Amino acid sequence: MIVEGQIHGGVAQGVGQALFEGAEYDENGQLTNASYMDYCMPRADDFPMFETGSQVTPCPHNPLGVKGAGEAGTIGSPPAVVNAVLDALWSGGHKVKDIRMPLTSERVWRAMQ
Amino acid sequence: MIPVSFDYQKVKTVDEAIAALSNDNSKILAGGHSLLPAMKLRLSQPSKLVDIAAIASLKGIKEEDGEIVIGAGATHADIAGDKLIKSKLPFFAEGASMIGDVQVRNHGTIGGSLAHADPAADWPALVLAADAAIEVQGSNGKRRIKATDFFTGLFSTSLQDNEIIVAIRIPVPAQGTKTSYQKFSQPASRFAIVGCAVMRFPDGKTNIAFTGVSDNAFRDSNAEAVVSGKVISNDSIAAAAKAAVQSVNILSDHYASEEYRKHLAKVYLKKALQAVA
Ligand SMILES: Cc1cc2nc3c(=O)[nH]c(=O)nc-3n(C[C@H](O)[C@H](O)[C@H](O)COP(=O)(O)OP(=O)(O)OC[C@H]3O[C@@H](n4cnc5c(N)ncnc54)[C@H](O)[C@@H]3O)c2cc1C
Repeated sequence: MIVEGQIHGGVAQGVGQALFEGAEYDENGQLTNASYMDYCMPRADDFPMFETGSQVTPCPHNPLGVKGAGEAGTIGSPPAVVNAVLDALWSGGHKVKDIRMPLTSERVWRAMQ
Repeated sequence: MIPVSFDYQKVKTVDEAIAALSNDNSKILAGGHSLLPAMKLRLSQPSKLVDIAAIASLKGIKEEDGEIVIGAGATHADIAGDKLIKSKLPFFAEGASMIGDVQVRNHGTIGGSLAHADPAADWPALVLAADAAIEVQGSNGKRRIKATDFFTGLFSTSLQDNEIIVAIRIPVPAQGTKTSYQKFSQPASRFAIVGCAVMRFPDGKTNIAFTGVSDNAFRDSNAEAVVSGKVISNDSIAAAAKAAVQSVNILSDHYASEEYRKHLAKVYLKKALQAVA
């Protein structure tokens, strides 16, 4: 239960990094999204239900056999989302190799021009 | 994030509110969802807040003498769920249900949104497209301001000091009128990056209004001229999109540059016209 919750949260955080989150500065070095009215965090209604699976192997390096799990979702989700967007663009005929995160709608639009 | 100190007065009637406002630096408090954040950032420092949320006459939505009358104190949620609005002005219900989140919709009011005149607010486009009049009351009595004369710039309106918006009056649209509101939301706040409101009457007259695009919401007469009185087809939709947002200053921010916003305005106009075709 704890591990599943951590995976859900981690996946959400990673998707936030891939699609929404970024500190934006203007030419004077002023942070332009300094409040949550402007800085976009992922929210529950941005996500479908999660299904998680796990491959359980004991860790040989400590007597309890335990290992960390919290970051697993965060590490996997950004490349999964970015690759999915690139794949969608390729199948639509746009030979785009890379888009900088976060993949805002404008960045994706520009990549398609 | 802590406002400067201020006095607070809760009033029960519009007359009481107008009297309370005669103090120079006092401000009306309605839902507080625009005013309080501005006070916390100290962008606004009123010495007194006059809370109008308990004025019964500002609540309610009714049909009267050929007009739909929405009290200035009606919340976004009140309007989104209202039967009369859903049947006669469906785009008002759609637009209201897209504002912010549940807390904002349960507290924020149509009157507060219009008075605040945020360039990205939804109501301005909707009242413009619906040929609404804004009914206001001050120490000299009541007057009506046409929506097209109400928005004068960034966060500015033709409302005078000490005037209170009391109602929004919309002529009941003829049977067969079609409406649509199409919005591209800013992902964090959900304000409109672009919002396009369209009302098409049975005789083909078509009202088109945009919000989010420029300093204040506006009616797009160039785009209206292309489709008004004509059949809506793929060709006329494309021509209207081409004519749209031509002679306005277009906003730019980190969510949408000028070029992208202009593109979005045309796309959202197309969606709205398709919906009323
Ligand atoms: C997180 C968040 C998201 C939001 N998202 C959206 C969105 O997607 N779309 C959108 O349109 N808005 C959005 N808003 C703004 C919201 O709709 C506000 O509720 C609205 O703009 C202001 O209405 P209010 O009743 O809260 O007014 P208040 O904040 O109480 O007042 C705003 C201003 O209007 C004046 N005023 C209030 N009532 C009257 C009156 N009857 N007559 C004259 N002056 C009056 C006040 O003095 C003040 O200057 C959002 C707000 C927040 C906090």
